[in-house]
Amino acid sequence: MSKGIFSLKSFGPIAALLIALVILPSIIPRFYIYILAVIFVTALLAMSLNMVVGHGGLFQFHHGAFYGVGAYTVALMLTKTSLPVWVGFVAAPFVAAFVGLLIGLFCVRLTRLYFGMLQISLGSLIWAIAFRWYSFTGGDDGIHGIPLPSLISSTTGAYYFGLILLIISLIVMFLIFKSPFGATLQAIRDNPERCEAIGINVRRHQLIAIVIATFFAGIAGVLFVVVEGSVFPDLLFWVFSLEIFVMCLLGGWFTFAGPILGAAIMISLRTFAGIYTEYWTMILGIMLILLIFFLPEGVWGYLVEKFGFQRKKSLEKERQ
Amino acid sequence: MFKRKKMKHKLSILGFALLGCLLTVSLIMLPGSAEARNIKVGIIDCYSGPAAVYGIDALNGFKLALSEINKKGVLGKKIEWTKRDTKFKVDLALNMAKELVMREDVDVIVGTINSGAAMAVSEAIAKKEKVPFITWISKSERITGEKGHRYVFSCGENTAMAGKAGGVALSKKPYIKYWIAGDDYEYGHAIANAAWRNLKANKPEVQKIGESWWKPGEPDLVPYITAILAAKPDAVIFCTGGRSMTNIMKAVKATGMAEKVPIWIHSATDHAVLKPLGAEAPEGVLGTIDYHFYYPDIKANRDFVKKFEAAYGNPPGFPAFHGYITAYFIAEAFKKAGSLDKEKFIDALEGMKIQSPVGEIEMRVCDHQVVLPMYLGVTKREVGKNFVIATDIVTLPGDEVMPTCDEIKKARGK
Amino acid sequence: MDFVQTITLSALCSHLLVGLSRAMILFVVTSGMSFVLGVLRVPNVAHGSLYMIGAFAAFSISNLFGGGSTGFWLALILSPFVVALVSLIAERSLFCHLYEREHLMLLLFTFALMLILGDLVKMVWGADYRSIMAPEYFRGSVTLFDAPFPRYNLFLLVMGPLVAVGLWLFSNKTKIGKIARAAAVDREMVGAIGINVSWVFAFAFVLGCFLAGLGGALVAPTVSITIGMDHDIIIEAFLIVTIGGLGNMWGAMVGSLIFGITQSFGILFLPQFAIVFPYLAVVIILIWRPTGILKSVW
Repeated sequence: MSKGIFSLKSFGPIAALLIALVILPSIIPRFYIYILAVIFVTALLAMSLNMVVGHGGLFQFHHGAFYGVGAYTVALMLTKTSLPVWVGFVAAPFVAAFVGLLIGLFCVRLTRLYFGMLQISLGSLIWAIAFRWYSFTGGDDGIHGIPLPSLISSTTGAYYFGLILLIISLIVMFLIFKSPFGATLQAIRDNPERCEAIGINVRRHQLIAIVIATFFAGIAGVLFVVVEGSVFPDLLFWVFSLEIFVMCLLGGWFTFAGPILGAAIMISLRTFAGIYTEYWTMILGIMLILLIFFLPEGVWGYLVEKFGFQRKKSLEKERQ
Repeated sequence: MFKRKKMKHKLSILGFALLGCLLTVSLIMLPGSAEARNIKVGIIDCYSGPAAVYGIDALNGFKLALSEINKKGVLGKKIEWTKRDTKFKVDLALNMAKELVMREDVDVIVGTINSGAAMAVSEAIAKKEKVPFITWISKSERITGEKGHRYVFSCGENTAMAGKAGGVALSKKPYIKYWIAGDDYEYGHAIANAAWRNLKANKPEVQKIGESWWKPGEPDLVPYITAILAAKPDAVIFCTGGRSMTNIMKAVKATGMAEKVPIWIHSATDHAVLKPLGAEAPEGVLGTIDYHFYYPDIKANRDFVKKFEAAYGNPPGFPAFHGYITAYFIAEAFKKAGSLDKEKFIDALEGMKIQSPVGEIEMRVCDHQVVLPMYLGVTKREVGKNFVIATDIVTLPGDEVMPTCDEIKKARGK
Repeated sequence: MDFVQTITLSALCSHLLVGLSRAMILFVVTSGMSFVLGVLRVPNVAHGSLYMIGAFAAFSISNLFGGGSTGFWLALILSPFVVALVSLIAERSLFCHLYEREHLMLLLFTFALMLILGDLVKMVWGADYRSIMAPEYFRGSVTLFDAPFPRYNLFLLVMGPLVAVGLWLFSNKTKIGKIARAAAVDREMVGAIGINVSWVFAFAFVLGCFLAGLGGALVAPTVSITIGMDHDIIIEAFLIVTIGGLGNMWGAMVGSLIFGITQSFGILFLPQFAIVFPYLAVVIILIWRPTGILKSVW
């Protein structure tokens, strides 16, 4: 068993990375600070999705709905109520997790694609509320210019806030991943029948996983509001959810850190390729196809393998 | 157990990989040196998906104007532009607008057809970063109305103007029972509200007997039309935009609705809508739009159309007209400001008057909304043309169809 | 509400017809998707893109032959083959090497294909709205149940069942069809008796895409043909094949009918909320029957 994140050996590189991330804002131009902050948000979102997709084996097709619920909760609390800011920040993940619980209750009764499609439908109902309820959610225009405390409203402030939340969330997620619960979840992914047979309540475990994942999606939603100062129904639309899903697959969905890389690649690609061409989606498509052919375990999975660590059993065998 | 991995190794690779990425990115992407530079306009608009046709048209109009402006130059400089494709997504629009402001260091942002994106950029970037933002196709009245501020301008007509034009025009007709239907998004609802508000104000006895709202771009509108016809309204107000326009016009034609009930649709007389339909467009539909390439038939307009057709092979639509005047507003404002200072630019742009293909137009001081006339017309097939055009055009002057400055103040005060 | 009183029997009947004609287009598109799902077990996200290509190809072909009646019929016949060709190229050059891979990888591939095809369509046809006309005899409307009913929709009401019968004959009466059905149930077995499963898959994929193209060509005269059509149809198509029972062709039919009819009756009763009907229908059906209405092959 791995000693994990706290072992001495891995401490060096992680600390180096952390220090780099902490001092970066003082040396790079503001735009890159902003893009890094966007990457933090998206990475956290993709990580939270991967808890259920990669580790839980569930077809969570509409994860964006929970992200959007989190973001809307903060936005509405900050614009419509006079409650202190932190109340909104704390409430958002819980609201997202609650919605996750409600939707999860219906979804876990179903399997695979049916699960995914029911979730898309239920999530789309939430989207329709955000899209239609003009007096409350601002309708399809969304809510913009959300007032934030001055400490985190600057680009650098948002960056550090995002970084801190991301690190805390990652540590918690990692602990969950390594906990007996995480192990059970992965066992369910690999063989639900056998787990059922040895007395594990499969559905309950899956439901808990969904609630945890949606809680973190809610945190990502909070971060989004901090970084962008806006919410809009696109966040809850299924197209966006599909993109997050792709980020997980791109980075390597059987790895812990893969989705971070997937998110970073997607965001960088659309930002920097978008400067030169409006056809960057085609570049993304070609990249994905190359990836499927040459790096079937995702970029992160490839890196792990490339650097000579334990050869993993082939994924196909695992999943069939 | 699925996988026993050595997390520490992975994490260390993660560390190095990310660090490497960051370093490369920061080395490669550092902005260029700050030489004496041209005026830079950053355009965010939609160049993919169904709305791209409008984005491209506006860009063409803008480019045409710049080619004229840059012959002489502005303050001894040229106006440069760079564009980003938002794909009709708000988050992308925000990313790209920030990129334009922070990395490209543009002097003005211009864009987009998506009202939601326009409002997001206006509030989250223009206002916060103090960069002037000029919208040219997005039609939400809230951009320069309720949510307006010092850094946002509009060079296009908006839903308040369209709705008022339609509402006032309809109030002169004898219809009492109305049905309102449209695309279920901000644009549709805003037009509907504005039209109904003005109709009711001018003719209190009108009644709304029902409403239907469909998803934007809904392919099959026949069931909506049969449902509306079953309710037997005196007249119908359709509030649709973009590609739904083609769909609704086709459905109106296929069901023969125009012969049964009078219909008003804002932008039904828009050439971008009527052209692809060819001879299949319904006749007798009442429409409003703020620009026709064949009307007003004055020299300035004929010249503009000739130049545009020579450059791009097709006549300009209303977005091209908006793009064209946007470029002239920017050029003239910088000339008047005398420097690249953004605050001076805004002061100069307020109240500025320029000559346009439809005559002199003004950027109103109180709400930063350009004063444009509206043209009310009826679709009709002319002999010898393979597309339908608007006829019996009535010009509604801009100051009549726009909300007054007091109304704007009231909306903003809320 | 006042207008509820105006809902008469004839209005109900006319809406039933309108809903049925919408269901026919949905059926043509989703039967193809269902076929691919059944045999290959792949949710083909690029299905919508192929539908869009079908519509654009119909536009080009119709224009090439000068529009009118000839143009329309040639477009209807040829554009599905154009789409089939595109899908055959994609399948044989790339997709066929992936059949042994993990499921989600196939999904990812079709997603990538959707991105690429979407941009390709934009490169080839541009961003303008396109429109083609149905021939003279399909234009205008007839009065049925006191309401105008477009003639073209009558044509759709005929085409839908024709496609259904054609598919039924194909899958039950031809050898390749039977093999495809067998492969849907047990692909190892089909391979074991010496049939080249790869080609069966190729065939099923191309046939599914052919139907997407046919759907695109059929819908072309009623809508504006534009980039972005792919996104509009794809989620609806997925929901339909799911509620019908994954991979079951008749399920696609049932799902399409439910969608078409809920939509058109919904419009009659609650026209303000049309945007949520499809999703509501799916939620109710999946809660009632977690694996779709008809038996799934999965």
